[in-house]
Amino acid sequence: MIEPSQDDPPGGATDTAGPGTEPGLDLLLKAAAQGDQVAFEGVYDRLAGPVYGLANRIIQDQAQAEEVAQEVLLEIWRTAPRFDPARGSGQAWALTIAHRRAVDRVRSASAAARREQLQAVMSAPEPDPDVASLVEASEAAARVRNCLKSLSKPQREAIVLAYYGGYSYHEVADRLQIALGTIKTRIRDGLIRMRDCLGVQW
Amino acid sequence: MVRSRRRDPHLQAGVYALDALDAAERERFERHLAECPACERELRGLTETAADLALAAEAAPPPQLRDRVLAALSHVEQDPAAAQVFDLAPPARPTRSAWHWGWWGLAAGLAAAAATVIALSVSLASVQSQLATANSEQHALSSLLSAPGTRIITARTSVGGTVTAVVAPARQKMIFITSGLPALSGARVYQVWLIGPSGIRSAGLLSWQPGGAATPLLATGVRPGDRVGMTVEPAGGTARPTTKPIVLTPFVT
Repeated sequence: MIEPSQDDPPGGATDTAGPGTEPGLDLLLKAAAQGDQVAFEGVYDRLAGPVYGLANRIIQDQAQAEEVAQEVLLEIWRTAPRFDPARGSGQAWALTIAHRRAVDRVRSASAAARREQLQAVMSAPEPDPDVASLVEASEAAARVRNCLKSLSKPQREAIVLAYYGGYSYHEVADRLQIALGTIKTRIRDGLIRMRDCLGVQW
Repeated sequence: MVRSRRRDPHLQAGVYALDALDAAERERFERHLAECPACERELRGLTETAADLALAAEAAPPPQLRDRVLAALSHVEQDPAAAQVFDLAPPARPTRSAWHWGWWGLAAGLAAAAATVIALSVSLASVQSQLATANSEQHALSSLLSAPGTRIITARTSVGGTVTAVVAPARQKMIFITSGLPALSGARVYQVWLIGPSGIRSAGLLSWQPGGAATPLLATGVRPGDRVGMTVEPAGGTARPTTKPIVLTPFVT
């Protein structure tokens, strides 16, 4: 897309990745966008862990998480030509898709399944402790967990319910019996604190 | 629970970044983004931050997933990139951000609707040469091309071939040119639509020249916020689209 008001670097060959982003992902996505399947293997290797882990964390069911992860990774392949590095990192673009698909899945689940899922999410603030299923926590993952711990308890609670629980902020407010405006503010303040803690550059 | 009447949209960036808004609120916030560069900036940072939260959940996927995904690649057709938009003259408006964000919000919907728009490297010269062949419309064409704020949008359709819209908001007119569209049987016809806040209006049917190419279409009544779409309809056309668009451009004004 041509944005006449912005000067894109020639060839767009910059990797506009923020800290915590695997270097090279943006370039791999760009190559994948041209139909390069070998480049997509690199995309897979960088994203499959977070995509599957996030789906599993939200859905709390390994078989469904695998299904969703497969859908998401193929969606990333299919829509790679639409990825625009001027708007954000490839990591954020891809993991936004992953989050949305996992959330779609839990929001369509039955109320009973949803209650079980919520209980599991809330009682497992750390990822699944099953050692075999865990990759060695990357440095970035450890940093994110540390920053999550630095939030106030109400901020963390609201963000965990919304992000890992897949709840709308209306539902979060209902569950916690807290005014909508307060939840909105907590989530925003908490994310800003996370952003500053992580040194996000965007 | 009392719903606050006083919604400060700036505060929505956090819940938006976490996918925690309902659909109507999401749309409202996306519209707000178009007018709020500060919100857009904040949202970018918060979106990156939200994505980092996914890293904390990282887990090793089942090993068979890799083979399955990679084996499926050849069977998944990739979407075309977003359309390219060319401005022939400086736009009357000082900013493009409204268009920019409108398109961003649209992208997901477009993907779902299988309405495909692709990036093409179209030189102005090639468009002009296409235009030049359309003798009967030539005067109208050159008048559009010289109007201030005229843009050219080229997109590929999902059935093959490309469409080019030369849109002159100053004249509320558009010339619609196609190339390489598959021919239809006599029972069906390509119908062009203007789609925008003032509803969906037919911009006309494509007619075919003896040589096998479609005649350029001149449409009037182009309004701000319109997009151009095309569907395949029964011969004679319809009042409303009855099939999925085979192409849908970003906002043309």
